[in-house]
Formats: sequence, C-alpha cells, structure tokens
Amino acid sequence: MEEVIKRYMPAIAETYSLGTSVEIGKIEHELKKLWREGEGAMMRASLMNLAVYSEEPGSLNNNTQLMARITENHACRAIVIEADCQSQEDRVDAWISAHCHVSRGGNKQVCSEQISFRLKGGCATQLPSIILSNLDSDLPFYLWWQGELHDPMDAQLWEWVDRLIYDSHGWKDFPAQMAFVETAQREAKQRLVLCDLNWTRLDNARFALAQFFDHPASHHRLAKISNVRIDFAPGFRSTAILFAGWLAAQLNWQIDEVRSAHELRFNEMSGQHIDVDLREHDGEPVHEVALTSGDVEFRVTYASCGDLLEVSRVQNGERRIPQLMPAAGNDPVSLISEELMRGGPHRVYLNALNCVRDFL
Amino acid sequence: MNRSAEQQMNPLREGLSTRAVPQPCSIVIFGATGDLTHRKLIPALYNLAAEGELPPAVAIIGFARRPKSDDDFRKEMEEAVREFSRQAVRDEIWKTFSQSLSYHQSEFGDEAGYKSLGERLEKVDTKRGTRGNRLFYFAAGPDQFEVILKNLKAAGLNRAEEGSWARVIIEKPFGTDLASARELNRIVKAAFDESQTYRIDHFLGKETAQNILVLRFANAIFEPLWNTRYIDHLQITAAETLGVEARAGYYEKAGALRDMVQNHLLQLLCLVAMEAPTDLSADSIRDEKVKVVRALRRIIGPEVAKNVVRAQYTAGAIGGQPVPAYRQEKGVDPKSMTETYVALRINIDNWRWAGVPVYMRVGKRLPKSATEISVHFKKAPAVLFNKETVKIDQNVLVIRIQPDEGISLRMLAKIPGTSLRIEPVKMDFHYGTSFGKPSPEAYERLLLDAMSGDATLFARRDEVEEAWAFIDPIEEAWHAKKDAPELCFYPAGSWGPETADDLLARDGGAWRRL
Repeated sequence: MEEVIKRYMPAIAETYSLGTSVEIGKIEHELKKLWREGEGAMMRASLMNLAVYSEEPGSLNNNTQLMARITENHACRAIVIEADCQSQEDRVDAWISAHCHVSRGGNKQVCSEQISFRLKGGCATQLPSIILSNLDSDLPFYLWWQGELHDPMDAQLWEWVDRLIYDSHGWKDFPAQMAFVETAQREAKQRLVLCDLNWTRLDNARFALAQFFDHPASHHRLAKISNVRIDFAPGFRSTAILFAGWLAAQLNWQIDEVRSAHELRFNEMSGQHIDVDLREHDGEPVHEVALTSGDVEFRVTYASCGDLLEVSRVQNGERRIPQLMPAAGNDPVSLISEELMRGGPHRVYLNALNCVRDFL
Repeated sequence: MNRSAEQQMNPLREGLSTRAVPQPCSIVIFGATGDLTHRKLIPALYNLAAEGELPPAVAIIGFARRPKSDDDFRKEMEEAVREFSRQAVRDEIWKTFSQSLSYHQSEFGDEAGYKSLGERLEKVDTKRGTRGNRLFYFAAGPDQFEVILKNLKAAGLNRAEEGSWARVIIEKPFGTDLASARELNRIVKAAFDESQTYRIDHFLGKETAQNILVLRFANAIFEPLWNTRYIDHLQITAAETLGVEARAGYYEKAGALRDMVQNHLLQLLCLVAMEAPTDLSADSIRDEKVKVVRALRRIIGPEVAKNVVRAQYTAGAIGGQPVPAYRQEKGVDPKSMTETYVALRINIDNWRWAGVPVYMRVGKRLPKSATEISVHFKKAPAVLFNKETVKIDQNVLVIRIQPDEGISLRMLAKIPGTSLRIEPVKMDFHYGTSFGKPSPEAYERLLLDAMSGDATLFARRDEVEEAWAFIDPIEEAWHAKKDAPELCFYPAGSWGPETADDLLARDGGAWRRL
C-alpha cells in the first residue's frame, strides 16, 4: 500500500510529479488498479472532468502543480495536456497520478486522479480522441484552454464541452479569438458556457459595488451616475473595459463617444451622459472603482493589506465608515476555484462583452 | 430561500453568486454576556463580516446587567471570536468589525435602560447609517422574555418608522408546554406581529437540513417513491456523547422530549414528510410543514407506554473514559426522573404516510454524536433474489445532518464469483469531500435571513403550538400519578435501553447502526 501511495501520490509538500508513465490503452486499467490497491486509506472523489490544455513548453509540470491546489477544493478527474503541435514526431505519452488531501473532517484522504498527456505532432486530430476516451462518465466536462485558440479546431470536441474556460486578458487579438470562441459555441449548439477568467477577476469588485444598491433607497442613485473611474494595472485594460461594459449593460447605457483609449462616454436612457475614465497605474488588475452619483461617491478600492477590498460611500466629502470585504486573488488557482464555484450560464458576461467588444 | 425584493430590483446583482447584502441595521443582543453570544452569535456575525455579507452600516449592541465598558465588551468578544470562529481572525477585519460593537448596561427589568437604549439607537442611526432598522435577539433565559418584551414595547422600540423595520429573534425553548407556548406567543404578539417574529431553530440553518427539500424536490427520482407504497419506515436519530454539562438547571426541567423532540426533531420530520410547497416563500413552506405536525397521531394515555420510551443514563464509559450517571451530575437531583433519552413510534395520519411508522430517538451519553434521518424502503418482492431463506437488507437512504454532512444510499449488489451471493453496498456523498468550501455555521445563515426578512427557516407560531399539542399528552402521561410509564435506564456509552429496541422489534425492524 505504502508503495502505491509513493508511486502515484506525492505528498502535498513534495515536488509534484506526473506520477507513473502508462500505456495509452491501459489508462483506465491502471487507474482502477491504483484505487483498488489504495482502498481504505483514501477516497476517490470527482464532481467533474477538468481538462487543461496548453501549448506552452513546461506547462505539464506547472499545470500539475496548479491541479494539486485546485483539487483541494474541487474534486475532479484532471486531464492535463501539453501539446507541441510543431513537432515532426507524432507521439503521445501519458501518466497517471493522484492529488490527495486530508478531508475537512480530517480522517480521510480525499483524492482526485490526474491523467497527463504530452502530445507531439498532429495535435488537432489527437486532442478530441485523447480527451473523449478519458472522460469520467456522467460528469460535466470543463475545458480550460490556456493561451490562444487557433485553427484547425475540431467540432467534435466542442460538442462535449460543458464549460470553456479561457482568459481573454492574455489575448493579443481579441476579435479573432472571440470569433474562435463563438465558433466553438455554435458548434456546441449554444450549450457551451463561456467562462472568461478576465471576467472572474471582477467578481468581488462587482459584488462590492453592487451591495451599495441593494437597499431600495439607493436605487435612484443608479440613474444619477455621471462619472465612473476605473484604475487598472498595466496590461489589464481589457479587464477595466469589461467592468465598464458590465455597468453599461446592466444600467442600459449606450455608447456615445470614444474620446480616447482611456475615455468613454455613455448615454443613459434619459439622455444623461456618463463619462468613464480608465486610469492606468501599478496595482491590482482593477485597483479602484469610483462611481459618482450626485453628491455621493461610491468607492471600492484595494485595502493596503492587498487581499481585502475597502468599500466606502462618501457624501459631500464626508466619508462613511469603510467596510472590508474579501478581494479575489489574481492567481490561476483562485480564479479557477472562483469560476468552478459558480454554476449556470454567463448571460451577464455576454451582455457586458457585447457592450464593449469594439474597444477590446 | 426567498429571493429578496432588493435583489430583483438591483440590476447590478444579476448573475452574482452571492446573495444580496441585508439592509443596514442595529442588532441588539439581550444576554450579551452569555454563552450563546460568546460561542455562536458574535463569531457568526464576525464570519459574515469577513465574507462581506454584513451591510457596511451595522451596529451590534450587547445588552446585559453586568457593568462593562464598550472596550471591555470588545475585548471579551475578540477573545470569543478567536476561540470559536470557524475561520481565523484577521486583524484588519476585526478592527473594522469591532467598531460596530458596543455595550449597553441595564437590568432587563429597568425601564430607564430601554429608554436610554432607544436614545442610543437613534444616535447609532445617525452615526453609522443604520436607518432605524432594529433586530432584537433574545439570547437571555426564557424567564426574561416577558419583561424584555414589555419594556421594549413601553419604550416604543417594537415599532419602526415608515420605511424601516423592527424584528425580534427568539431562542428556544418556545414555552414548556402548549399553555406556556400560547402564553409566550401572546406576550410576543403584544409587542411584535408574527411577521416581525423569528423563532430560531438552529437545526434548520444547517446545510443538510436545507438540502432535504432540494434532495426531494429538485431530483425526479425520489418523490415518486416517497410514500407509503415504497417506504417501510423512517428513522430520525439525534445522538450525542455529551452529558448534561453546565445545563443541569434547565435540563432537569426540560428533559430530552422538550429539549430536542418538540423542536429540532419534529422540524426535521416536517421537512422529510411535507408535501411540495406551491413556491419557495416562507409561508408556503411553513404551511406545508404545519400540516405534517397536525397530521401526527396524538399519543395519549395508555398509548404512551406502548409508543414512547423514556430513559436516563447511568454511569458508564464514552470512548474508554468513565462518565458518571445523570443523577450524579452537578446540579442534578439525585432522585431525578428527567429523561436523557427518548424514543418514539409516531404515525402520520395522511394520505402519503398512512401505515409508515416514524421512529425517533434522541439521547445523551450515547456512543457517538450523530444526527441523521434514514428512509427505509420496502423490500423487493420475495421471489428471485429475495426468497425468504436469504436475508436481504432494505434499501436505505440516509441524510446525515451532523457531523460529516452528506447523503448515502444502500443497495444490494452481487458479490463477484461464480455463486450468487448478495451484499449491501453504499453510495456515499459527503459535503466535505465534494465541496471544498466549508458550509457556513447555522447561525450565520439564520442571522442573515432575519436581517433580510426571510422567515423560511424560522418556526411559525402555529408550528410551535401544534408541536406542543403533540408533546403535551406524552408529558402528561409520564407525570400522571397513576400508571405512569416507567423510566428506564441505560449505561452511558450504550445505544439506549432495550425497551427502545422493542419499539421497532415488534414491527420487525431494528434501529440503524450508526
């Protein structure tokens, strides 16, 4: 037993390894063997198939480390794929391993299995067959696509994907990439849920801002917003634009004028202008948001400790007692964990995106 | 379970996975120096603050007799939160949260103390923006409820100004019998309407208890089987290893039947046995729950001895450690007749449950702490694999409330091999394994609901009174001067008296092994 654990299951403190090399045709057989031999000491758990695909050299090891942390909170069958599409050699190597964590009850090891693949050569043709033959049955399939999408894309794959996770923040050509994503969605007959980690980054800031307007007495303030200031970190303009898109979509603002790359003007239904000022400076991806409505400013800003948001309402220059709220982490594990905690379609994201896609 | 009106109207809420933050309010805790405030209420409020679920404008005012400064109170509460909070205390959050804490010293019966409380609340409204919304939490002993309510009313604190609200949360026990419950309800109603009153039963705030309705009504496979045609019987168990601890004074008067069955266990039974509500509003759900309690066949007179077993623990051992008998516990009468264990056989006289007995047991000093509901399905027809010569187990669906919240289903499977042998196997779902995120404490959920005006998980007046109407005849029989059913005894660390096993044995069943 001890030997089995050593072979397949690195302790959390150890360097994460890919586990044991297995023949492609014997993956299920080896996994069964693993669980059979480890029974009693550990419990296999799985709520989903979570595949991560990357063409970045070295990603197999990096993503294995991420999976080890993600599975602490999200039990899944992890399928980690590194592809070298330019390789002249056509081959597939596979490994199996498991990520085990002591459960919250503290008396059981809860384990998620990982199947790792290194694909060389004809990636597009290999990918669907590799993934589809290794999915855990009856569980949803989430595909986390790292980097840029490209042709050729196999329609067969998209028909199986339930959620496509990507990070538009890193895209060089937003319209071209979005065209790929939307093609995938069409091929999946609109069943595919699009999950943009760039949008997930905004979750806590959106929540922090939204809570100002939960009270009916504050609703009228939404119609009186005249200025929005969004401070963002270098490289995160698209994140800030998505935030502006969210406000515009939810509050029925129409774009009126693009004054510069950092200055947008929207119109509210009554005709009132809303100026959105995007300011770039060092800090968190979206460091501070301030909404001005009449004589009140609603502000959400990162607290000095870095992982909390400070929310405050300032009226006539007099500041109300600020409140601290959790801020989202910007690391991949936090973003993916946040994304996996939610369910349902991302209609609000699509609405926000459609409002500002021309500026992304 | 209600989607608040604010959430529907705030367009920025759409699509967010978190619920709407309640309206700003002041929370006044009566009995602020007590155990409940230290162990549960303040840690729950701190956790809500740390999760960003408290409104920015909130004020928490501890009301108690002992003289204490605001700073002393904050220090005490900080220690309590550091000891009892489910998440580690962060200094930055505590600093902000502690600013919302203050202390109001007054006797519960001192009218002037309520007048000054009113003045203080008005100042808080101005200073912290709590907008005249008030939540009064009764964490004091039930003997203090009346005087607090009368004084709140006299000070006009039971009424809110236009556009604001005043609510009261009452901790159990909601009376000690039907008459006292009615009296308590009358006293409460004299100060607060039913719509302002939140009777808290922390069992209903537990994630698994809430999941019972999801399990039953969000899955298509269970509801068709959830009736007398397919279910043989139900079992509800609430076992604890603890003895009476520091509650002897209260427990001696209450006993297991009043302490646990009248509220927690009957509430769980309601969730398991109720019909589908027309919607998820508080009153739709509570309407269906109260119908279950009304349908419980009353156990009266000689029926009590046949269907109810009461018992008390004697000296024994728990986990290898010797423990004293109940009668030897501090504060307990050496001749006490208070039951620390009760088992019941209950019938629900309605179309769905006719002929399906419900067995309930609750006890202290049992071998392990566990609360669960098990649904025992009827056996398959006695042909093929189920011939009488072969002992075949029933399918059992278990809903574990605590600890290790989850759901399991026992079914039969063939043992691999050339011969035909059948064994039960278990499909098991554990919240802790499947969802890494820990569940909020029951008090967090319930406090948030009360602040948001959602009464779904709180007991309504008629539910409480109907539950007492069921319990009272049993208590009366126990305390009758003539032919009172005997009090049995069981050694601490056992699963209760043999007579409790007989309750099921005579129907051909047995308690589930936990």
